[in-house]
Amino acid sequence: MPRKPARHHRLLPVRPLTFSPFARSVARVATAYLVKHYMHNAVQQSAGDEFKEKLKIIGRRSESSEDEEFDGVVQADFAFFDPKPDDFHGVKTLLQSYLDNKQWDLSGFVDLILGQTTVGTVVKLEDDEDNGVFSIITALNLGRYKDHKCITELKEFLLNICHEKDKIGNLRSLLGDEAQKVGLLVSQCVVNLPPELLPPLYDALFDEISWATEDEPTEELRNSFRFKFYLVVSKFYKLNLQQKNANQKRSSSTDKDEAFLYIKPEDEILHKLSMWSFLFPLQTQQVATHELKNYQLTGIVMAVKAEDISSFRQQLHALINGS
Amino acid sequence: MATRLQFENSCDVGVFSKLTNAYCLAAIGGSENFYSTFESELADVIPVVKTSIAGTRIIGRLCAGNKNGLLVPHNTTDQELQHLRNSLPDQVVVRRIEEKLSALGNCIACNDHVALTHTDLDKETEEIIADVLGVEVFRQTIAGNILVGSYCAFSNRGGLVHPHTSIEDLDELSTLLQVPLVAGTINRGSEVIAAGMTVNDWTAFCGSDTTATELSVIESVFKLREAQPSAIVDEMRKSLIDTCV
Repeated sequence: MPRKPARHHRLLPVRPLTFSPFARSVARVATAYLVKHYMHNAVQQSAGDEFKEKLKIIGRRSESSEDEEFDGVVQADFAFFDPKPDDFHGVKTLLQSYLDNKQWDLSGFVDLILGQTTVGTVVKLEDDEDNGVFSIITALNLGRYKDHKCITELKEFLLNICHEKDKIGNLRSLLGDEAQKVGLLVSQCVVNLPPELLPPLYDALFDEISWATEDEPTEELRNSFRFKFYLVVSKFYKLNLQQKNANQKRSSSTDKDEAFLYIKPEDEILHKLSMWSFLFPLQTQQVATHELKNYQLTGIVMAVKAEDISSFRQQLHALINGS
Repeated sequence: MATRLQFENSCDVGVFSKLTNAYCLAAIGGSENFYSTFESELADVIPVVKTSIAGTRIIGRLCAGNKNGLLVPHNTTDQELQHLRNSLPDQVVVRRIEEKLSALGNCIACNDHVALTHTDLDKETEEIIADVLGVEVFRQTIAGNILVGSYCAFSNRGGLVHPHTSIEDLDELSTLLQVPLVAGTINRGSEVIAAGMTVNDWTAFCGSDTTATELSVIESVFKLREAQPSAIVDEMRKSLIDTCV
């Protein structure tokens, strides 16, 4: 059995960002968390152990009699686990719209992810009977798995949706000749997952990749984790100027809307750091909320150099923990 | 014969379709593959009708029916109701019922003779079920779950129930329904049986994640295999091998 990591209790002072009672409650929940204790575990990997890291988020209930608008304070213990075959349904649900509405071998893809226990993390609640999966992150070597039906279908999908002539050459070389050095970065989480989990999640992934280059049993496997490039397929909201002009009643209002609205905060950093990227239209129907009426959900494919990953990790830490 | 298929990457075929001995309903909006799989199996025998209910595609979970009738929830639109009445055979009575539990497919499981219903269903609804569907109605739970329509699927020849159903419950239900029952899973370990498959007396449609073992259990409990030589040999094998004491 593994040693449980020592937990250091350190309650940070509450720093509310605004003056409204609701925002104060949210800030209280978001800033009160325990420092994680991070362990390097080559030994645990080989023992087939699941437990790697724990991050506790405690909602502090207000003792005072002031009116608490934020009623549903939820206590959640998130834990990081190695992917297991049991997680099949949870991971499949998270990746349902990975390739838009294309019918492809999603089950095979999920099996690949769950089969790779050395690199990849699943975020679940500790001691949860329902075995609900909250997040999945992994990196798959496109060359190693090139014979699998799901990977060939994925490559075909990406090549078909790339309509930018200057990028398609790059894409083709990454999917073809250079595939052995390319890692497909798959990261998906439930919409309301606390962003504090993202830096340790990405750190865990990149650390596992570097440990795998030393710890894997065969030379071939070790090499398969020496990625030079990462490929990311994701979605975000893009400002649709035609729709905006049609919706605007006053022509004199200034353009305050940002060009892109990222659903996942790490996408913004990856987009800036990427070597190249292209957008593709999505065919699935989108629900148009009032705030997003000028925005269109668009797909994006980005390629990031492996050297830029340390900068990415730093920027992600700064973005989540600094804000 | 049991067929595996998908609806737009989802293996929950029982959500997007409803199969009975007299007709088959399929949701609109899926790729033509979904619809054509049903057609190829059923076209000559029973009509396959594309429809929506209450503007949604989850028709399998919103309606309940058998060869005698079809019950749809109160939020079904008038056009949908008319479309169903026009497309289904005349002997099938289509009735829209005022019931606050509007997901009738989750609350009612039935074959042509017996129906199991949610314990909180209105008395009036129970009478309508008995009248329109021509069945005997029993209020039951399955493995402690009140959504009987979700956790079991049965035809006139057999039934599959939630995997955690106890032996006593299994015997009790089997006596009520007068068909052999087996506790099992669908779509690679999913417990929500009726969401993952839809079945009638001679064919079944399961999600594509269903494993070979699950499929063989389904084919044997619903008696879908016609008299194939291999089936007879396998069944007889037990009596052919003697045990030496």
